[in-house]
Amino acid sequence: MWELIKKYRKGFIIGLVLLAAFLVFASNLKNREDANIFERGLLTMFSPLFSLGAKVSAGAETLWNDYSALVNVRKQNRELLEQLRLMNGRLIGEQDALLENERLKKLLTLKGTVPIPAVAASIIGEDGAPWFKTMLIDRGGNDGFQEGMPVVASDGVVGQLIKVSGNSSRVLLITDHSSGIAAVVQRSRARGVVRGAGSGRLVLEFAIREEDVKVGDQVVTSGIGGIFPKGLPIGEVTMVKKGEYGIFQTIEVRPSVMISRLEEVLVLLKRRND
Amino acid sequence: MTNIVRTAIAFFVAFVFQITIFPAVLADPFKPNLLLVAVVWIGLTVSSLWGAALVYLFGLIQDTVSGLYLGLNGISYLITFIVLHNIAHRLYADSRYLMTLSVFITTLACGITQLILLALFSSAGGIIGTLLYSLIPQGLVNALAASLCFSLIGKQDKEELG
Repeated sequence: MWELIKKYRKGFIIGLVLLAAFLVFASNLKNREDANIFERGLLTMFSPLFSLGAKVSAGAETLWNDYSALVNVRKQNRELLEQLRLMNGRLIGEQDALLENERLKKLLTLKGTVPIPAVAASIIGEDGAPWFKTMLIDRGGNDGFQEGMPVVASDGVVGQLIKVSGNSSRVLLITDHSSGIAAVVQRSRARGVVRGAGSGRLVLEFAIREEDVKVGDQVVTSGIGGIFPKGLPIGEVTMVKKGEYGIFQTIEVRPSVMISRLEEVLVLLKRRND
Repeated sequence: MTNIVRTAIAFFVAFVFQITIFPAVLADPFKPNLLLVAVVWIGLTVSSLWGAALVYLFGLIQDTVSGLYLGLNGISYLITFIVLHNIAHRLYADSRYLMTLSVFITTLACGITQLILLALFSSAGGIIGTLLYSLIPQGLVNALAASLCFSLIGKQDKEELG
């Protein structure tokens, strides 16, 4: 036996290493939403770096915008003059501030309408892999966050918290394939489960064929499942397909939140079944 | 020692870029995976088995900020390292073009490994379509990033020799 092991030592070592790696992966499958001590430690260690990176990124974006503005200065100048004449002295420079103000106001209004305490957080990072849809925010367990808490923006549902560490947390976006939210069509009260379908799209699954669903219908959270409060906007129906056979219909939904343009989110401090 | 510190700094900068800066300026699936580029470089140039531990750690670090499953990138990076480690002596690993090609092929191989693991062990069935759709652009972007990184490393080596 020992001779055999000696003869194929390299193969055995590779096999053992792969087995150990597989065991780590397998042991994390069950509690995939909870951050273990390794993940918490790393997230805590890296979150200041990510915050710094986000600031650098914002600076770089401003620099790039300034550069584009310089490149197109002649064209823009003409356009600005035109706008200036049309809008009769309205200050374009204030628009950004106004928009930001509006965005934050909306967030505050939402905070007031949802009967659950909420904490605002900024987005500091995004998932590197194109096939996973998660985000990193700058608040965590120290602010009372826990895995599973709902995350919303002024326009609707964003996702839910996974992997919470001390000063940062990750958000599983509604557009991720692993995400599922119990939903209802606002007009006809048809029920289903909204799941991520990749490329920023959503699908409403398990809506029975006979249910009345039309393009343009609003889809909101049903409150079933105890994670999301009832009535939060999820998206708008963009396609309904009923095949000749089958129990369910195929419904595509466009998220009401422009996830790629999100900067701030609200985390509802709601534990499951609160 | 200087080399280790320099490599560690390069790794941290690449990691922070990957999580914070690339997503802000680049759209999916054109965000390069610099850690995978590092894994290929380690697989082709580091002969000791410490390389295996290092790439596995890289994978675990990436898993803490990407996806849901801790160990998914770890296991795929480890398999990548073992394969590259075993064929590196037959290849002209100093060639920048070969490294770039290896990065492209490795991106596809890693993606397929992850796809198999996810199909077998996760409930996110629909991910297959998204993953396959993103794989070729991701491979090309990684290859482009790799060619830039390896030409920088080559330039630096030449300066040190000269």
